[in-house]
This record gives sequence, C-alpha cells and structure tokens, in this order.
Amino acid sequence: MDFAVETVELVKRYGSLVAVNRLNLRVEKNAVHGFLGPNGAGKTTTIKVLLGLLNPDGGSVRVLGQEVHGDKPEVRRSLGYMPELPRFPKHLKGYELLDIYGRMYGMSAQERRDQIPKLLDLVKLKGRENDLVGKYSKGMQQRLGIAQALLNEPELVILDEPSLGLDPVGMVEVRELIRGVIRGGKTVFLSSHLLFEVEQVCNYVTIINKGSALVSDTMENVLHKVKGPVTLYIEVAELSGRIVDGLRSLPFLTDVAVEGNRLTVTVGTDEDVRSQVSRVINSSGGTIVSMSQTGKSLEDVFVQLVGTSQEGA
Amino acid sequence: MKAKQVQASRLTGFLAVVRYEILWNIRKKKFLGVLILAFALASLTLFLPVALNRVNNVPTEANPDYVITTGTGVGSFGFFLFALVTVMNSISGEFESGSIIPLLTKPVSRTTVYLAKLFAAFLTILAAYVLLSIYMAAGGYILYGPQNNMQLVIVTLVGSIFSTLVWMSIVLCAGSVSKNSMLTALLGIGIFFGLSIASGVLSAFSNQAWILTYAPGNGAPARLGNLRSTVNVTSFRNLTQSVSSGTDSIATNLVTYILHPANNVTFTKTEISQGTGELLVPMYSEPLSLVVARAIIVAAIYIFVFNFIAWYALKKTQVAE
Repeated sequence: MDFAVETVELVKRYGSLVAVNRLNLRVEKNAVHGFLGPNGAGKTTTIKVLLGLLNPDGGSVRVLGQEVHGDKPEVRRSLGYMPELPRFPKHLKGYELLDIYGRMYGMSAQERRDQIPKLLDLVKLKGRENDLVGKYSKGMQQRLGIAQALLNEPELVILDEPSLGLDPVGMVEVRELIRGVIRGGKTVFLSSHLLFEVEQVCNYVTIINKGSALVSDTMENVLHKVKGPVTLYIEVAELSGRIVDGLRSLPFLTDVAVEGNRLTVTVGTDEDVRSQVSRVINSSGGTIVSMSQTGKSLEDVFVQLVGTSQEGA
Repeated sequence: MKAKQVQASRLTGFLAVVRYEILWNIRKKKFLGVLILAFALASLTLFLPVALNRVNNVPTEANPDYVITTGTGVGSFGFFLFALVTVMNSISGEFESGSIIPLLTKPVSRTTVYLAKLFAAFLTILAAYVLLSIYMAAGGYILYGPQNNMQLVIVTLVGSIFSTLVWMSIVLCAGSVSKNSMLTALLGIGIFFGLSIASGVLSAFSNQAWILTYAPGNGAPARLGNLRSTVNVTSFRNLTQSVSSGTDSIATNLVTYILHPANNVTFTKTEISQGTGELLVPMYSEPLSLVVARAIIVAAIYIFVFNFIAWYALKKTQVAE
C-alpha cells in the first residue's frame, strides 16, 4: 500500500537526547491523521524530518512516495505545511507573501490570481491583504499560515499545532478552517494538543511519547483500547420504575443510579450500547431528553497510554 | 519531471526568492537610512565648494575631471556600510524571526535560496550605486561643466560593486554561520575597523604593510609614480596621487590604470622625524597593472571563499527551532 507518509525505525537525536526513537508511522492517503503526544514527545521534530528541515540519524522517511533525506525541494512541491506558531517576513504584505510563495510553487500568474483571493476569503483576511504581515495579530498570522499551506492545492497538508496560542474565538475559527480543508478531501496530518479537536476531525491517530509511537491505528480502534467503565448520563421525561427495572435487567449494565429524572448508567462492556439502552427506555414509555457518555474518549486513551508510558520509564 | 521543466521551476523559484529579498532590502530602514546618508554626502561633495565660492564671491572653475575623480561618491566606509545594512540579517534575521521555516519548506532548494539572496543584494547595491552615479554625473556636469572620460563612470560603478561584494560576502558568511544579526554586525564592524587601524599602524611602524594587500579593505598605502628616495610628505603629495592596493580601491585603481596604463606604484612607509616632519620612505615599486589585477583576484577569492562557507553553512543547517 502506498502511504502519504511512512517512517521506518526513524531516529533523531539532539546530542545525547533521543528526540525520535525508532518511530514507525504510516499516514494513509486521503485520511485525516491526528498526531498526538505530550510536550517534548517528538511531534515537531518528526514533522521537521518529514519536511527535510532536519536530517534523520537513523531509519527511513518517505513522503508521497519519495525518500526524504536533506534538502529535497521536489518532495515539497505537493506538500503544504503550517508551522507551529508560524512567523512570516514582516516586510511583506499578506497578498505579496502568498503571491511570492505561489511563484515558488511554480504557479502561473493566472493560477495565483484565482487562488489567492479564494484563500484570503477562506481564512477571513480579505480586506487586510495589503497590510504588512508585521502588523498582523497572532491569530491573523495563524490564518495566513493555513492559507499558505493550501496555496498549491497540496496532496498532503501538515498542520503543526494550528490552534496553539489562540484565544477561544480564534481556536473555533481555526477549527472551522481545518474542517474546510478536510472537506476538500486532502490528506491531512494534524499535530495538536487539543484532543477533542483531534477526536472530532481525525479518522486515524498516532500517539507518541519520548519519540516512540504508543499507538497508531484508526480512531475507532484506538478508542477501544481504553480500559475502565463507560458512564452514560441520561435525562428522561417521565422517568418511571418500569424504565429503571428494564435497564437493570440488561446484563451489560453494571449499575443504574437514579436522581430526579436523571439516570447515571455504568456500562460493563467495550461495545457501544447506547442504541440498546435507548430502545429499553422508549419501549418502557420514556422519552430521552438527552444522553451523553464519558470514558472511552481520546483524552482517556491519551492519559492512560502516556501515563503508563511515563510510569514505565 | 522532465529536465526542461525542472530547470524552468528552478528559475521560477530563484526569481521568486529574488523578489522576496529585494522587497525586503528596499524596505529595510537601515538600508534606506544609509542611502539617504550617501545622497546627503554626495550633495555636500557637489554643492559645498560651489556654495563656499559663492559666499566668497569666487567664481567656480570648470573641472572636466570632477566626475571621474569623485566616482560614485561612496568610499571604503561607504562600501562596507552598504554591504552591512543590505545583508547583515538576510540569513540570520530569517532564523531569528522564524520566517526561515516557511521559506525552506517551499519547493526551492537551499542553494537556490542562497544564490537568490546574494543576487538580490547585488541588484539592490547596483540600483543604489547607479542612482548615485547618475546624481554625481549630472551634478558634476551642471556645476563643473562638460566632463572628460564619462565612459569610465561605468568602470567606477563595476569596481565599486566588486569592492562592496567583498564586504557583503564576509557579512553574509558571518550571518549564515552565526545565525545572529547582532553578532554579524559586530563581527563585520570589528573586521572593518580592525583592518583600517591595522593599515595605519603597519604602515607607520613596520615594513610589513604589504600584507594588507591580501586583506579586504584599503590595503597597503602607496603613491602613484616612482619614488626613489625618502621625501617630505607634503612635497610628494603635491606631485602624485595616493593609491591603495586593497579591494576597496579597485574602482579608483581601474580608472587610474585606464588613464595611465604605464604607471608604476611605489609602496611607502611613513616616518616622523624631528625637524624634517613626516617623511615617506619608499619600500618597493610595482606596475599599476599588477596592483589592479592582484586586487581583483584577491577580491574574487574572498567573494568565492566567503560565499562558499555561507552557502555550505545554510545547506547543512538543521532547523530545529
């Protein structure tokens, strides 16, 4: 199978510190792959090796089918990259910057004239394109970072902490932009601290710690790796004893607690049982007002895996 | 990708980086400041004698050699200053601000980035010197009458750029290796003033000033013509013009050589004695052609070596931060 990114036993050291330790990573084409890890786990170092900004000390790296080692501009032709906290030359205006980057990608004048206004519109920088980048706020630079990463309509988009350092409004805006990129059907490799963001948008995930992959699989499979109970919080209109008895008779529920018209249900299986629980409540004459689930979130998996890995160190 | 397409995309990438860099250079406050300063000094050179003559009610005499003797109006310190403000943060500034990351992740090789930055610096200096040359030539013509040897203005221009390129290469090299603009500026200033001081000290206190011929800057002090015995500085000064053998004197020496191809140059040592005052002690003489050719070769070697080191440092840099 041809992967968008494939590393085999990748090693990167900074002196005696091993930043990436025999990392095996596969990013499927046309997938949205989340790349998670605590601070200093080796995420940005890995990304910089993929881009040729750093040379690996061991193992191999292939990006879009081409071997990467050192300065390989042809690999970067089909790649869009948004760096962590992007910084652009302050002396250029927003439009000028995108225009010059477009020239570097070999885009024709017509292509640039078509593409740049669309991107400025997408990242909500229209009207500010003739301001010097030095006058842009952090959030605007972040959005400009996304625009320049999409300029060449890349096959693979690498986003390194796209929401880092933004205020809540900026984070929501950037998340929306990422969703837009994903809807465009590109392969996206997303490094982020925001686990719920990754859980919402990614269909594959790799969690690394101390430079090694703890898990790398589909989101569904990764979520199944979590140990411990899942709890359902259900609000039911006209909660009756019949409903509670019906639920207590289900063999996979280990506990059903009642408080007013709210139920707290502990699930003793790895299966998703929400539809069966709904059927019991409905058939017993109840109406579900709301249902939410805790446990089995990416956050739980992350904490469990990284915690175990730290303890084992 | 076919060979022709690869070549075309390299050229497009190269031109894009040149554009990126030129826009930066011409918007640098430091560069604009030095350019304004250069024009102000050129204006003083042009207008001050005329103004003083007016004040003293003395008519300004025609000087047909005015333009060719003043050149671009940029001297040794000017070459250094233009080089410093144009390239001191071309590479180091990108690393300090972090803008190197988006640049190096575009499909342009580091070699192309380096060459384009160098070429953009060359174009920036060329434009500045062309403007200054035109200003000096037009001003000289208007104030001092029709000028001789105007075709040599181009030789002056080429020589001045060559001299500036030596300093540019040194500064670029310091920036590429150190990745620190402040350190680059301090190193450049240190080298320039160090060599300037060394020039005076060596020529006054030792017989070893010839060594400066192989260093960037003014080089060893000399006089045009054959000097056979020790003379008083004042009397000899009136007879011949001073010459320097260094890379900063290429333009002046080239023009002198074209006008006086058979001339010799006498390298001198300065001695101060009681009673006779400042004396020029002749050391040895060389044909002017040799002095010019050697300065050009020395400059070319410096340009090549320092640019090679700067390119290699950029090529091998691992962008961790």
